[in-house]
Amino acid sequence: MSAAISRSAGWQSLLPLVVIAVVAVPLAAQSVTVRTVANALHVQARGFSFIEGPVLTRLKEGRSVRIDFELTVLTKPDGPSTKQAAQGFTLSFDLWEERFAVSRIGSPPRSISHLRPRDAENWCLENLTVPVSSLGFGRDTPFWIRLAYRVHDVAPEVNQAPDERYTLRGLIDRLSRRREEADLAKSVDAGPFRLP
Amino acid sequence: MRTLALLFVLLGLPLVAANAQEADAPEGAVIDAVEISGFSLYSLSPGLQKDINSLVGSPLNREGLNQLASRIEQEQPEVVAAVRGVSRPDGKARVIFLVARISDDTDLTENINARYIVETVDVEGPYNEISQQLRDDLQKLVGRRLDTDEAERLQERLEKELPGRDVARRISKGSQTGRIRVVFEIFEEPWIRFAPTRSKLVYHSQQGWSGVLDIPMSSSRSRHRFTAGVAFNDIDELIEEYSGFRLAFESRVIGTEKLGARLEFSRYNQTWEDATLTALASNPGIPELYRNRLTFEPTATFAFNPRVRINGGISISELESLSNSPNSQMANAWLFGISGDHLWQGSNDVRQRAEASYQIRAAVKGLDSDLVYKRHLGQARYQFEQGRSEAIASLSLGYITGDAPLFERFSLGNSTTLRGWDKYDISPLGGERMFHSSVEYRYSHVAVFFDTGSVWDRNTESKIRYSTGFGIHSDNSFLTVGFPLNSDGADVTFMAGVRF
Repeated sequence: MSAAISRSAGWQSLLPLVVIAVVAVPLAAQSVTVRTVANALHVQARGFSFIEGPVLTRLKEGRSVRIDFELTVLTKPDGPSTKQAAQGFTLSFDLWEERFAVSRIGSPPRSISHLRPRDAENWCLENLTVPVSSLGFGRDTPFWIRLAYRVHDVAPEVNQAPDERYTLRGLIDRLSRRREEADLAKSVDAGPFRLP
Repeated sequence: MRTLALLFVLLGLPLVAANAQEADAPEGAVIDAVEISGFSLYSLSPGLQKDINSLVGSPLNREGLNQLASRIEQEQPEVVAAVRGVSRPDGKARVIFLVARISDDTDLTENINARYIVETVDVEGPYNEISQQLRDDLQKLVGRRLDTDEAERLQERLEKELPGRDVARRISKGSQTGRIRVVFEIFEEPWIRFAPTRSKLVYHSQQGWSGVLDIPMSSSRSRHRFTAGVAFNDIDELIEEYSGFRLAFESRVIGTEKLGARLEFSRYNQTWEDATLTALASNPGIPELYRNRLTFEPTATFAFNPRVRINGGISISELESLSNSPNSQMANAWLFGISGDHLWQGSNDVRQRAEASYQIRAAVKGLDSDLVYKRHLGQARYQFEQGRSEAIASLSLGYITGDAPLFERFSLGNSTTLRGWDKYDISPLGGERMFHSSVEYRYSHVAVFFDTGSVWDRNTESKIRYSTGFGIHSDNSFLTVGFPLNSDGADVTFMAGVRF
């Protein structure tokens, strides 16, 4: 009987460790780090995957997918934003090379191909930066990061029919798509960080 | 951009006539020169440089050349590379690598597969319902680089020719390296459709503005839809002028695509025109006015096939008295309806669409209704289109027995019926009997129409009214001038609006 109690107590003492492991593994899998290169604050988010699930399915069907990113620097968790950067990317999957291509939307345009999924994701984050000089705080000040993306179900707006781009029908279509797009959005908060 | 265009012209050369001097070199021809255009050889790794340089003097091997082009792209992922062996007069071969930046080409930045030549264009779905012109235009994509803008436009044309169906586009590998298949997928029309949105912004020169905004929330192929709607002010639809909101949930597949359901809740506040108030004073038999109308309406729909459906349910309405608030009357009715439609897509761009429906709303004591009545409404519509010409004919018949509240009574003389007349001149309380017919002809959206109709009560005589007019009409917008023909006055009515 005492042996049974002892075994039970042993398992109970292991339970918190199991809980910690279950909780910590996904957190560790989404670890966010920051670094500065010249005047640019970069973010790296291991495990912040977006080329998966329905996005991957669409890409492998030869469709292009637009993803908009936002990188927000906060002075405290859930606090006001100090600086925000937004950048859109168009992804496609080269059917013959079986590699991903990414194009940065806006000026100057940049494109890259022959990437594996994780490399394509990293390339997007590499091209999402905040100027360090615009942050307005020094190396000792802690800050937090919010990294978010939203996947659009449709081709970029430039490819919409010109006569539908600004119509009420277009507005309704965009509103109608909102729920589906919400399923294809993710954000992660991390911190505190200090400027390296 | 020129380099890139040249590159893809070069890629596509086997598909177009080439002169003798630029003919493709045969497999095995000795390579006597190698060129790289648009890129510096020294940007490549020493190993790749060496492999490219060592081509000189070796026999031409297309597979090997393609592998080298692929290695250029792998080393320099910001570029695309193409390669071709050109025959020289002395029988030897000249190899040209053309390299260009992806970001220099908008089609490639949109979709990297735009570098490939379209081998086939396939339609998965009811191919026979697509016009010959559109079929021909789809095939024009073949043999060229994928033009994503053109493919998008063709997809939109398919959606327009096949209303109610969803069209998607995908790309897959072709039978040869560097070739792709473009597939337009047409999804069959659902057996049960979502109710059309009621959004509109309408102006009627005698009645004023009406504005309703419905926001449907679903994806295009979703089985369920939630709609939130706001009526800012609607004087166009009923004899009452109302504002308020509605919430609706619809499911068009419940276990089977033959069964659907809909729940709607709405709350509207009413205001009444002076003409209605005056007319009601001399018609005490008509149920009293109300200030609020609160309605809950659950219904179910069964589809026999994609074209014929029946629906049934209950409509529970509480009408808060205008003069004796907060007293209210209930108007609770059984609903039953049957509807059908059919589309014929013929040759020579001829399209015909016919729709017909019948609905009865029976308010009975058994549902705790204070107002007891039956309302029958039958409607039919036929539309013929050929090229820019379009003809539309419609007929509506309505019949009410018992004491129907004002929102159930028929009215004519708005932006869709007896255009040119004002419904408050015809019958400010609406009527228990109604018929209306309309014929309209459009050419390139320029429309002329002739409307006929009458609305009356069981104990009054029917007076048939006519109107005509012209305007600019499309499927969802209109700009109309209407003239009542057998009116004492000769008022001209101007109407404009969008429905979306």
